[in-house]
Amino acid sequence: MAPGIQAVRDSTPALKRQTMPRAKRAAIVGIPAFFVLAVTGSASLGLIVAVLIFGGLYIPAWNTLPLGKWIVPLGVILLAVLYPLYQPNLFDVVVFGNFPSIDTGVTMMIFIMMALGLNIVVGYAGLLDLGYVAFYAMGAYTVAWFASQHFSNVNVHVGGVGVAPDTPGFHISIWLVLIIAGVFATLAGILIGFPTLRLRGDYLAIVTLGFGEIMPQIASNGDNLFGHNITNGPQGINPIDPPGFGNTLHNAVGLPSDYLSSTSSTRLFYWTALFLVLVTVFCTVRLRDSRLGRAWIAIREDETAAAAMGVPLMRTKTWAYAAGAFFGGVAGAYYGSFKGGTFPGDFYFNISIFILCMVILGGMGNVWGVIVGAAFLSYLNQEGLANIGAWMNANGVSDFVFRKNIDVPLYTSGIFGVILVLTMLFRPEGLIPSSRRKAEFHEGVHDEPLYDVTHE
Amino acid sequence: MADLLTAVGVRKEFGGLVAVNDVDFTIPERTIVSLIGPNGAGKTTFFNMLTGVYKPTAGQIVFDGHDVTGKPPHAITQRGIGRTFQNIRLFQSMTSLENVLVGMHSRLKGGVLRAVIKPPSLKREEIAAREKAHDLLEFCGLRGRDDEYARNLAYGDQRRLEVARALGTEPKLLLLDEPTAGMNPQETAEFTAFVSKLREEEGLTVLMIEHDMRVVMGISERVTVLDYGEKISEGTPQEVQRDERVIEAYLGTAAVS
Amino acid sequence: MASEQARVRVARPGYRPDVLSIVGLLFVAAVGLWLLINFIKAPADFYNLFLIGLTNGCVYGLVALGYSLVYGILELINFAHGDVFMLGGMLVATMTTSWALANKSGIVLWLFILLMLLIAMAFCATINTTIEIVAYRRLRNAPRLAPLITAIGMSFILQNIGLVWKGARPTSVPDILPHGTVFTIGGVPYTWNRFIVLLFTVPVLLALMWLVQRTRHGKAMRATAQDREAAAMMGISVNRTISFTFFLAGCLAGAAALLYALYFTNIRYTEGFRVGLIAFTAAVLGGIGNLPGAVLGGLVIGFVESFNNGLGWHAPGSDWSQSIIFAILILILVFRPEGLLGERTPEGV
Repeated sequence: MAPGIQAVRDSTPALKRQTMPRAKRAAIVGIPAFFVLAVTGSASLGLIVAVLIFGGLYIPAWNTLPLGKWIVPLGVILLAVLYPLYQPNLFDVVVFGNFPSIDTGVTMMIFIMMALGLNIVVGYAGLLDLGYVAFYAMGAYTVAWFASQHFSNVNVHVGGVGVAPDTPGFHISIWLVLIIAGVFATLAGILIGFPTLRLRGDYLAIVTLGFGEIMPQIASNGDNLFGHNITNGPQGINPIDPPGFGNTLHNAVGLPSDYLSSTSSTRLFYWTALFLVLVTVFCTVRLRDSRLGRAWIAIREDETAAAAMGVPLMRTKTWAYAAGAFFGGVAGAYYGSFKGGTFPGDFYFNISIFILCMVILGGMGNVWGVIVGAAFLSYLNQEGLANIGAWMNANGVSDFVFRKNIDVPLYTSGIFGVILVLTMLFRPEGLIPSSRRKAEFHEGVHDEPLYDVTHE
Repeated sequence: MADLLTAVGVRKEFGGLVAVNDVDFTIPERTIVSLIGPNGAGKTTFFNMLTGVYKPTAGQIVFDGHDVTGKPPHAITQRGIGRTFQNIRLFQSMTSLENVLVGMHSRLKGGVLRAVIKPPSLKREEIAAREKAHDLLEFCGLRGRDDEYARNLAYGDQRRLEVARALGTEPKLLLLDEPTAGMNPQETAEFTAFVSKLREEEGLTVLMIEHDMRVVMGISERVTVLDYGEKISEGTPQEVQRDERVIEAYLGTAAVS
Repeated sequence: MASEQARVRVARPGYRPDVLSIVGLLFVAAVGLWLLINFIKAPADFYNLFLIGLTNGCVYGLVALGYSLVYGILELINFAHGDVFMLGGMLVATMTTSWALANKSGIVLWLFILLMLLIAMAFCATINTTIEIVAYRRLRNAPRLAPLITAIGMSFILQNIGLVWKGARPTSVPDILPHGTVFTIGGVPYTWNRFIVLLFTVPVLLALMWLVQRTRHGKAMRATAQDREAAAMMGISVNRTISFTFFLAGCLAGAAALLYALYFTNIRYTEGFRVGLIAFTAAVLGGIGNLPGAVLGGLVIGFVESFNNGLGWHAPGSDWSQSIIFAILILILVFRPEGLLGERTPEGV
């Protein structure tokens, strides 16, 4: 390279960070502004346009400021935290109807957590795990074992809330159980990984698919496993204790003693779920930027080269499974406590594919993308599709296209299937790709198996 | 001079095909050895057995006093054998610096829990690692390329990065698989000088598979010739050059007579 | 000199398979013993279950052939294959009902069945080929994850179509196959409807093998399966060969669908996935890419399922069928990935 150019490069490090284009600035400012205006009831077109122009022209690009890169994430977190407060005031959107309820919000948070967990396995390490639901189930049953009356022949209370002290069964504080559930799921992940991770990509996929498929079976038949009632069979285990902080802390600091008996119970569940998501994001990012994260990406790109560079393949892949499983377990446990019960019917294998869809649509390997993908698709699954259907039926769209009213949620699996296919065909790097991934898909990678027989 | 690597009776069969046929091979410390032979002679197969990609069907390989026969690749790398690949296998979606950092994987210690908590000791380790990787890149002639994605590098730079990455594994023995393929004469001369530097300044032992005779004759202290999986000649470059069997292997029987 | 120093024990790595083979053989022996005991205790049941397993196994084998064909040529697990089979079954159900075949008999009935066979085969073949052209072709050079994920997506779409077409509950198919006895064994009648399934599978397998081994098309398929680029350089149209393979696999699925629908008189939108997983396990068990192996694997799984469901003495029971079959899949992939009839590729990958 000519010395002159090199000198220029060396002396202008700031060239690497590009200032944000005006359109992007305007959009990022415009969205929350729109919300605020909508909530206060003054969202008119003129006002919105004014805000956008102002945002684009006058607000400086903040990503070059010292802490600039935190502004957007913090803004989003703020929007999410305050959501229960302004949600009732929000307007109805065309086609989609009302914004998601707080209840749906909790479900969305749970799915975001699981998607982030799967992202570690599929997005970072490149292992196609089609049986993620197994970890979710592990977590759900862990909370069912340690915070309910299931094991009625014992009476162990360690911080359990919402139940009288003489109630039989394990009643451990949900906060502890979440960690236990994560650990159990991790162990399950290591166990499942042991035979499966040595297999090639497509075999790994179908074996994990099988695991996901037999999970509901085992759950259903678990009321008589060699004479022991592990899962209570098809009826499931309920009720499950709610989270809470107990009476001592309630009297001392005002924390809710148990979520169910509080007046703003749904909000509490929502905020806790949001907190769990933030913890997951934190851990995920830390892992991604660590030595282990680099090893995962190396394995995904070229196993043989990674092994030649000293990366122990089985161990590193198992860590990916374990990490992903941990978050799946915690998510499952929290969800069990939220719903107050765990049933085999919760673990239909489709869930694994739904979560995979979220990761892929959002952008494999990209934390933001996965969050957006998960939030959107879980919303669709819970409320969105039903709302769309209602709108289409009410406004004659159904009549026009299909000649009758249609039940959109009936088409859920098909719609997710179409999303998967279209994404893979036209934008495999996802909606919000990581810069690494975009090149990988359009240029290809070395993913031959380890033993490369074609070499001489 | 002690032998850094000793391979005895190493054999590789693929079903009915014998790719490497009972080859004995030693590499003394701090030498530069070349492995040559016509295409299909079994050189890369032999390499792959040294690095653990293939398990030998028979034979034993002892490296630095340890038996590494049939051990998995990452264990062999940990013992101190680093390698580059014939067709460049960099991690294309990672930067140069990150590629070298992956090479250093077995020499760093951060685990899962420490990664999440990120204690000061880990921060120090990462900073030190990055500095070392940066130095390695400079040493290999890749100054200023730290944050370039590997796929965007020029061909010659990619080859250099492969070496830098292999050096990241802190090897005692460096295996180079056709390192000058696709290089012009000047690049080849630079690379040859670089390999010498590796031996002189870093005390490395180097084993090369090479087709370019200038390189082979230029810096190898010893040359071993394989043909059809068998060792047909071994000695100094001059000895091997005059060996009838070698000429026959490369040019055919008519060339000898 | 150096070689003398290092002339230590010359290691011969790779003893593992022997221990495993012994364990495997012991296990098979134990299973054989269990079967024998059950046979002695209730021979009529045993014969009946044997025949059931034989029949089911043939159906599984036919579907497994489709998986094997496609995997052999593209190294792709076509997740959607089972669902194509399911849609074929639904078509057969529709045809049988709307043409009131229950009221027909004799030659007319058989002509109609033949007609349904051809239509089902054409239907499934068309779907399969379309899926290949629309979804898989573009992704032939993409990283391996991509076509796999697309296949899953297609599977979902097809399942949804099945759900919308016939609803969530099982669709019943009029029972039109004859139930007369062909022969009796151990007091258990071997009825015509079972025999027809067997009667059908064997020639199909033989015809397929002839096609793959002896015809030009088959040669093209085998060449493309081994080395796509080389085949292209030899003048083989890779696209057409692959499309032809999918076409064949679709025909097999259609035929299997006809047999399934008429024999079990029942079809449900989730059957595709269930049978697909079983059939894939069968294909792997027999040796993926190996055609007789696929049918052999199908038969083995058919027997395993049947004996497990029905035997009286210490059988895990139908609740555990899927788990057992799945366990077989894992064990095979981990310990003997080339299956029963497959060739051991170097290092077993």
